[in-house]
Order: sequence, then C-alpha cells, then structure tokens
Amino acid sequence: MSLTSAEELKLKKKALDLRTNVLRMMKASRAGHVGGAMSSAEILTVLYFHIMNVSPENFKDNNRDRFVLSAGHKCLILYAALAELGFIDYSVLDTYGSMGCLLPGHPNMKIPGVEANTGALGHGLSISGGMAQGLKLNGSDARVFTVMGDGELAEGSNWEAFAAAAHHRLDNLLAFIDWNGLQIGGKTADVMNYSPLTEKLEAFGWSVINIDGHDLNAIVDAVTTASETKGKPTAVIAKTIKSKGLSFAEGKAGYHYWKASDEEIAEAEANLEQQRTELTAMEGGAE
Amino acid sequence: MNKEALNPRIVFGDALLEAGQKNDRVLAISTDSSGGSQLTAFKNAFPERHIEYGIMEQGAVGYAAGLATTGWVPFYAAIAPFVTGRPFEMLKDDLGYMKTNVKVVGRCSGVTYSDLGPTHHSIDDFAMLQTIPGMTILNPGDPVSIKKAVLAAADTYGPMYIRIGSPSMPVLYDESINFEIGKGIEMREGSDVTLIATGTMLAYAVEACEKLEAEGVSVQLIDMHTIKPLDTALISRCASKTGRIVTLEEHYINGGLGSAVARYCSETNPVPVKCLGVKDEWVGNGPYEPLLESCGLGLDQIVKDIAEFAK
Ligand SMILES: [Mg+2]
Repeated sequence: MSLTSAEELKLKKKALDLRTNVLRMMKASRAGHVGGAMSSAEILTVLYFHIMNVSPENFKDNNRDRFVLSAGHKCLILYAALAELGFIDYSVLDTYGSMGCLLPGHPNMKIPGVEANTGALGHGLSISGGMAQGLKLNGSDARVFTVMGDGELAEGSNWEAFAAAAHHRLDNLLAFIDWNGLQIGGKTADVMNYSPLTEKLEAFGWSVINIDGHDLNAIVDAVTTASETKGKPTAVIAKTIKSKGLSFAEGKAGYHYWKASDEEIAEAEANLEQQRTELTAMEGGAE
Repeated sequence: MNKEALNPRIVFGDALLEAGQKNDRVLAISTDSSGGSQLTAFKNAFPERHIEYGIMEQGAVGYAAGLATTGWVPFYAAIAPFVTGRPFEMLKDDLGYMKTNVKVVGRCSGVTYSDLGPTHHSIDDFAMLQTIPGMTILNPGDPVSIKKAVLAAADTYGPMYIRIGSPSMPVLYDESINFEIGKGIEMREGSDVTLIATGTMLAYAVEACEKLEAEGVSVQLIDMHTIKPLDTALISRCASKTGRIVTLEEHYINGGLGSAVARYCSETNPVPVKCLGVKDEWVGNGPYEPLLESCGLGLDQIVKDIAEFAK
C-alpha cells in the first residue's frame, strides 16, 4: 500500500530528522562514516517509522521485527533512528566519539535497540538469516530486515548466507542493498565489480526488486511485495547517492569517512536547514 | 589398560540426543558432516531441530548466532579445524562479542585425521579461542566426561567450544563423577610432580602415572577438562604441593594449556613448568599412534620426559 501524501511528507521530515541527528553526532566527534549513513536514511526511515513493530516498549517481545545493520559502519543513521524512537536520549548523540561513550563507531547490543554486534563486513546477513529461521521455528510471523552495503558484497561469507537463506526458504528475511556505487577505495564497479547483481541474486534463489533508494513510496512498495512473496527471501537493490543531503559531499568516495572541518559543518547545517524550509513550505501547501 | 573404550563421537551424539530430550530448544547444526558428527540419532528424533547448511563453516556460525538470539540453543558440530580456524572472526564477533548461547563442537580434533595431513589437524584451536573473552573451552578426556560436558554446556548460558577426538577413548570415570565447568579433577595424589593433562591425552597421562609410580616417581594427576576459564586455584595448590608442573595436550605448545598454566604460575606461584605438546612445526601424516609418537606424544616419550623433569 503506497503512502498517502500526508504520510509521505511525515516520513520525509523523519528522514531529515535522522540526517540532522547524524550531523549532530558529526558536530560532536568531527569524524565518522557519514557517506553510507546518509545514503541509507530513507531505508531506515521507512523501516523504523512505517514498517517494523519495534519500540522501546516491545523490545523484549519475541515477536518484534528485527533490524540488523550488516554494514555496521553506517551506524550513525541507526543511532539517529534509535534516538527518534526513544531507545536512547538525544543527549547521548552529543557524546559520539568521546572516550567510553555508549555509541561506538560500529553498533553493539549494549546500545538499547541494537540487535547484533556488527562492523566486520559479511556477518550481518548470516546472523539475520539465523534470526529469520529461528523466528520461523518459533512459529512467529515477525520479519528480519537487513541493510548491507554494496562494497560489502565482496565478502564471500555473504554468498554463503544468500545461498542458505534461499535453501531454507526464509521468506521472512528482507535484505536491502544500499547500492550507492561507492566504497572507500572508489567506485564499487572499479574496486570489485558485482554487477549484474539482480541476475546473481536471482540465480541464488532470491526475489529481487530494484528501486530508487531515496523514494519512500518505492521502499514501502518493495516491502509490501516482499511480504507477499512466499518461499524465498527478497533482496531490494536500492540505488542511492552516497552522502545524500550534503551538497558538497554527494557522490564523492572521499566522504565515505568524513573528517569534518568547521566550514563543512556550517555548510552541512545550511543544507539541512534549506531542506527543512522546503518541507515546511510543502506542508503549508498541503493544508 | 583393561578399560572399556568407547567412540567419543558416538558418545557425543548420544549425549546431544539426551540434551535435546531434556531441553526442546536444543538444535543440532551440521555443515555436510551430520553423519560424521554422529548427529543422526538427534536428526531422527527431532528432524525439525536438525539444520543442514552445506559446507559453509563461516556462515553457519552466523546463522547459529542468529538462531540463538531467538531463544534456540544451537550445537554446531563439524571437523575441528573447520569450526575454529576457518570461521574464527565469526566465533569472535558473532559468538564472543555478542555473547550468544551457541555451542561449537570440534570433533576429530588434534591429529585425529592423522593421514589427511595438516589441513585437517586441529592443534591451534585452544590458542585461537582462548583470546576470545567469555568463550568457554571444554576438552573432556573420557567418554563419561564428554557426556557430562555436553549436558553441562546445554544447561549453561554462553558461547562454548567443546573439543573431542575420534579414536576410541578408555572410560576413566564412573557416572558419579562430579563434572563442573571450570573445575579440574584431581585424579591421583602425588608429591614429586604435578601432571596436568587434557582431552585425548588424559588416558595417556593415567598410564604414564602408573609407569612413573613403578619407577619411584610420585605424580599428582589433574584432568584439566576446562581450558577456559582455567582452574587457577587448583593449579596454585598443585604448584605449592609438588613444586613442579608438567602439562600434556594434543595441541601446539604455543598458545595451549601449557602456555596458560605457565603464564599463571610465573605471575603467581613460580615453579618450573614443562609443556608437552606439539612443537612449532608441521606435523606429517600417517597412522594416528605413530604420528603422535612423531610429535613426542607417545607413552614412552611422555614417561621419559616427566621422569627427567621430576629429577
Ligand atoms: Mg557503498
């Protein structure tokens, strides 16, 4: 079911809130994996604020949906979402990068709301597959959502996990691949080319959906299609722009890990303020 | 030795079946070696709780971790090197760091696969797994303690590695033995030297003690079935009592039980420690017993080394 225009506007504002939280952590630490965090903002927004039944209140409930950030370095966007959901206090965001703070540069389960310790690439999909299989064995209809990076696909363990998920018919597993086309060393196609990915994943027994990863409606529709697809897991190849929302950094591999200067922070703040102004104007227009 | 000998893999398979009967959350996980790991009885009894992943030893550890987060207790059994060195980072991150309730069982460990060569030997697993905080390492030395280790593992939360061999093992204990994770067992009182043995070497140690006694050497024998957490209180007591310690294991002397005992003693109760195990070299290939002898782990060599050290 597609979003109403009011729902879409609300989620757009939420995605902007997440990006604003990311910038808040960057202001505190001045260093972080911001590129992949920003490219996956819409995916996490839709999952956490429209799809999944996850909240601080139900986090011990065995029937909650699970979210695993396989590309653990995108953790800034996860922390941003956890703050919006009330798992962590906003003030914790201001401690990012400080000695012993709750939020490391890769997520772990000490942080309320985090389901798996990730960071080393090529682990998250296997863990997610096990969760999906365990939920099925439990008779639960909860789902498992994973966000992977495109550079991460070069880890061979992912292909073990893809094969096993199809073999065990884990149709409660949905993997988003944040296809921003870049990794730390440059263009993913140049570093280690995994195109054509759709055909590879289909050959591995997955249902594959290609979308614009910044299109909220497309993300919602992909999840709907996935939940109607029985007997096989679904991969959503989400074409995105790395560092989306930061005009000076968009599509540049150099901002995979951003060491932010005062000037860049000011520019980033101006970018996000501008986006907020535009959304507020849309809101006015919608009334 | 006129003791009954049993196949440790069959003992493990029967113990896992019993654990599965007692606890309906226990799972058996295989990577194309279900039969070899003796999971067939479990599979027949609980087909829905037996999961096959094919030969993907890295991914299987991650899947096991995910299953554990949903309340299951996976026992993942396969040939030892392929569940330790092969997926080491998954053991570290997905089991250790995540503190998941997964039991990894390395069977046919040590140089069991003697003729298959170093790719199939597992004499480095203690060294690797000891570096993982919170990882329990069990290495039971007879069929009774294998069964007790499996049942204790099923009842105790946390990531664990259980190491078992393959050649038949003499029964050294009766069922009444108190097996407690982290507590070594004093099998024999002695005054000249303490022998701390583990796993497949325990039966050799028992025989060595008898021969040494005949030669006038009084040996205190410890079954150190838990490599981690190490029973340091017992080691301390033995160090004070006998003033000398020999360790015996089917593992490299680098990073094994001996290294752990020697480090502990040097810090707290300095006594000479002699480590018997595989030297820093590639083990060859051949029948099991002669191959052990080539590593200096034949009974006669063990007796000779201990007698010399005890002088
Ligand atoms: Mg990328």
